[in-house]
Amino acid sequence: MAGRRTRSMNGASLDSVRTSAARTAAIAAQLQQECSILLELYRKREGFSADVADGRLVSVPPSSSQLETRDKLWRLHSALLQCYSLLERAIAKEEVELGGQEEGEYEKQRRTVKDRLSFLLISTGELLKAADSTTVLTPSLEGLELDGPTTVFELKLWVYRIFKEVDHWTKTAISTLQELLSGVAKARPRTMRFRSTRNTRR
Amino acid sequence: MRCSSISPASKPNCRLWLICVLSIWALNADAKIVLTVPHEVSLSPNTHTQQLSMSWLGGDAATFDVIILRTEFNETVFYDTVSATVNPMSGRHQWNWTSVEPLECTSLSIKIRSRDGQTTSEWSNTEILQGKDVPSEINFQMYPQDRIVPVGTNTTFCCIVEEGTEFAGMNYSSTVMKVKRLSRRTYASTVVNQKASGRTGTNVVCSSKYKQSLTGAVVFVGYPPQPTDFVCETYDLVSAVCRWKEGRNTYLHGKRVTRYSVNKRDCPKEGSNKCSFSQWDGNWTLVAVNPLGHSSLTDSAEISHRVCPVAPVDLGAVVHAWDATVMWKWTYKYSLPLVCQVELTNSGYNTKLIFTGVGLQSVVLSNLLPYEDYDLQVRCGAQKNFWKWGNWSDVFTFRTKSSAPDAPDVWMWMNRDNTGLVVWKPLTRLQSHGLIKRYKVTLCDPKEEQTCIKSLPPGTCSVPVNLTQLASFRSDNKVVATVTAENDAGVSQPAIIRLHLTDVEPPTLSRAVYTDNSFPLVWQHQANVTCSYVVEWHDATCSHDCHVEWIKVAAGSTNITVESDNFQPGVRYNFSLYSCPYDSPQKKQCWQGYMQELTPSRPVPLSVTQEGSSVVLTWGEIPLVDRRGFLLGYNVYSNNGFKLTLLANLSDPGARKFKVQGLSASSYKFTVKAYTSAGEDTGSTVSIMLERNIYQLILEMLLSLGGISIFLIIVTIICYKKRKWVKKAFYPDIPEPKLPGDWSRTQGPLNVKPSHHSLVHIVERPDQDSKEALVVIPEQDEDDDGYGIGDEPVDTDEPHSLRYYNHVVDERPIRPRFPDSSASSSSSMDSAHTDVTYTGIQTSGTSLVFQLDPQGSSEGHHPQVDQGVHCGAGGDYQPQMHPMASNIDTSLASPDPFLESQASNCGGYKPQNSWHLDSPTEACERSSLAPSLGSPTSVASTQFLLPDGEECGEEKRQLSSASTWFTNLLSSTKP
Repeated sequence: MAGRRTRSMNGASLDSVRTSAARTAAIAAQLQQECSILLELYRKREGFSADVADGRLVSVPPSSSQLETRDKLWRLHSALLQCYSLLERAIAKEEVELGGQEEGEYEKQRRTVKDRLSFLLISTGELLKAADSTTVLTPSLEGLELDGPTTVFELKLWVYRIFKEVDHWTKTAISTLQELLSGVAKARPRTMRFRSTRNTRR
Repeated sequence: MRCSSISPASKPNCRLWLICVLSIWALNADAKIVLTVPHEVSLSPNTHTQQLSMSWLGGDAATFDVIILRTEFNETVFYDTVSATVNPMSGRHQWNWTSVEPLECTSLSIKIRSRDGQTTSEWSNTEILQGKDVPSEINFQMYPQDRIVPVGTNTTFCCIVEEGTEFAGMNYSSTVMKVKRLSRRTYASTVVNQKASGRTGTNVVCSSKYKQSLTGAVVFVGYPPQPTDFVCETYDLVSAVCRWKEGRNTYLHGKRVTRYSVNKRDCPKEGSNKCSFSQWDGNWTLVAVNPLGHSSLTDSAEISHRVCPVAPVDLGAVVHAWDATVMWKWTYKYSLPLVCQVELTNSGYNTKLIFTGVGLQSVVLSNLLPYEDYDLQVRCGAQKNFWKWGNWSDVFTFRTKSSAPDAPDVWMWMNRDNTGLVVWKPLTRLQSHGLIKRYKVTLCDPKEEQTCIKSLPPGTCSVPVNLTQLASFRSDNKVVATVTAENDAGVSQPAIIRLHLTDVEPPTLSRAVYTDNSFPLVWQHQANVTCSYVVEWHDATCSHDCHVEWIKVAAGSTNITVESDNFQPGVRYNFSLYSCPYDSPQKKQCWQGYMQELTPSRPVPLSVTQEGSSVVLTWGEIPLVDRRGFLLGYNVYSNNGFKLTLLANLSDPGARKFKVQGLSASSYKFTVKAYTSAGEDTGSTVSIMLERNIYQLILEMLLSLGGISIFLIIVTIICYKKRKWVKKAFYPDIPEPKLPGDWSRTQGPLNVKPSHHSLVHIVERPDQDSKEALVVIPEQDEDDDGYGIGDEPVDTDEPHSLRYYNHVVDERPIRPRFPDSSASSSSSMDSAHTDVTYTGIQTSGTSLVFQLDPQGSSEGHHPQVDQGVHCGAGGDYQPQMHPMASNIDTSLASPDPFLESQASNCGGYKPQNSWHLDSPTEACERSSLAPSLGSPTSVASTQFLLPDGEECGEEKRQLSSASTWFTNLLSSTKP
């Protein structure tokens, strides 16, 4: 994991953070819904049960309550980026292995999830910028197993695992962003009091 | 056996033969030893084909025994004698074995020995082909992976569970498979007759217990390629494009999709099914390949036979009002004769036109309509050696120019006051030939040489005229109206009509019947009419400036079907046929008809009058607009408020009156309903109260009175004439009492004044309420206990009874029948001891009625005072009670007419039985008569106190009060 840094948000960016966080949370909620549909379609097509193919593909630092909000955001952004890379790779491999000329319901939903995940990535990136007003360092994809499996059955399990990863990190995004929004809401009165005091002094 | 049959002299020969046999056996033993044991056995597995190739060195034997066992369970998989081929270079024997199960499933042990007939060598050393279930391979595995098989084949899958786990099961798609254990960790199952798999193959999943892990494989089941319709053609007379159809679905996609090549040149993958070549090659070969097989198709043709022109481009047109010239360009230059198809679409209708020419690039379209929009497409093909139509060009749209409009269709409506309307039909789109700007109406008056011109906007379709102001009309009715329409391109031809009113009605008025959405009208051919006709129609209820519609009919026609969107149900239409409508219009025939008849919307105006015992219903006519159908008649009903009863059906629509006869004085209601073929209207209802004739009433009353008087007179006369019989029947003489001694009767009046010793004591029943029971007690000395008549200390009611008693006694002297009273007598007229007891104790007037209480009668012989007030309260007469039992027991019978009258007044009495006017004596003699008498009550009468009353006491109880009353009546008249 590269480019990790920790810094608190200043009061001036609270409004933009709040707006950006709310928008990002909305995208995440939408993605979560679309991802559920995609998983359901995939399970139906392949006859997999929900407990098949557990296990993580995305590698991020462990979560901790001690982490600051920006670190949590960074961790989330990194995970989503890995999800996106895995998803792109999975789609490409699926199309090569199983064909992608005909676009059915599953293929459409898969594309929708990919596009929505891209929006979420952009949105979390902007949120990181708004939070710290500095350039967001791109998380590294080093070590990510992008090559995928060799047999078709393993490919299917791998794709399923990736969809589940997207679902998992989308849910994580929703909870992290809600946490961020409540943190901003708490911080705002303090900032307002601070400003008001400063104006009085003037 | 043979030796035993020979003689001893031949024994040496037998020994020789035996030696020979042994020698041959020894030689064979030497040959067995000669067969070489196979060695240097080499195994070469092909896991994809599941084929095991084995080679060895093994001498000259041509056949070998091969045994293959599953190493772990030592189960024989294959054991047979095979013929091996010998590689001449290496001298190694070689033989291939195809396994049903994937070679990875479990380890196999292979041994080979040489065979020459029945002679075999020793087995070779065991060679082991290691499976993937060896301890070093700990993973969860399944074989074969990604297998592609044709539809209908059988495939065996094996699952090698992880070390330390237990096999749970195998599924082929969603079907649970039956498994067979091959080794400690390996399980196998065979799927037979496999169906085509889906786009992503069929999953075969193996799961293990405890860890809930799974592995699997995907099998693709499909078909080899089978393309069809392979043809090559040229669009530009130079290059070639070859096309084909995929044919049967292979069910294989992605990496396994069918690949095509034409003349060994690869074609684009999935979907397009075409291959392009820059130059025409007369012979073409298509090869289709997929993992399950390949297929090839060929095509050969000259280029001129395969010309398919491309779609024309850059279409344009030079447009006029009635024709247009359409031009286009070609992407390639076609110098050969072409045939082109032009599809022209106008207002949803399309027409295909064919044109030919060398390298055709323009066509002229005629017979177009002015000011119309046309859509046009062009496609072409080779005229010679036609192969197929090329593609359609893009749609090209153009609009033709305007042209002068058609002349309007003009007609007129003339009112009776010589005013009217000049009407014309609005020009349709096809008649307008452009946008109509105005209509012009010209009225010419040739006498005054004046012309009146009116210009009207496009939407107008009528103009009012007043002919009375025109001199020509006044003189010879020659007024002519001219109507023209005008658009951008010019003015239409004038439509001329002579305004003329024909007052002559046609001879016949026929019915027009609406059939198949129209009125078919037929008329006779008229030889004298050489010009055309007009059929005009309008709402029959309209009389002034009516909306009139018309249709032109060609000369010589004798029928027409009239259709209009304006026809309404329930409206009567008048149809008129005019001959020579534009020169000298003359009405020839008329019809009337309804598009659909309805019931009248308004009932008839109805009135009623009385004529003696009859009623005359008269009604008026329903207005034409409300009839809504041809009236067929009227139904006349009697109406009792709930139900209509049909009195008459008048099938004459002109009927206006109906007479209902023979009615008695009462109230009546009548309803009249007019009806059409659709049914009745709601109906008009009138009511009338029939009054009786007063003179007739008086006459009837007088007749009734006279009849009654005559009847009474006759009865009186009969009674007078038969008075003896009446007396005998109703009041016979009472026989003298039979007394034991000499009881001379005193003729004088009996002093019934009670003496001081003759006491009737009315006392309270000790066991009952004092006001409810009066008891007759035996006579006693009045001084005994102070119960005297004059000073009885009883209820305030009781003195009344006593007073009444005295009153009766005073006025009605009663002769004692039994001078010797018994001890049970309760009263005596002249002695303190008498057998006769008078209990005619009455209340005066309406206050009290004495009755016997059934209870009291059953308990003793004491009459009770009934509640006389009950009568006033509603009359509690109980005819079924027989209270006389106690009365008779006390030998007391005192009939009293007031009782009866009281009972009647109470409203409760009604005689229940027929009764006989026989004397009590007779009644006593006939025991059966007693029940026939009415219910007697205790009355103060002596008439039935008979000497032998004890014998007929029971019968006496049956006497009704009515008979008693009658007896008393007769008694009172007795001398």
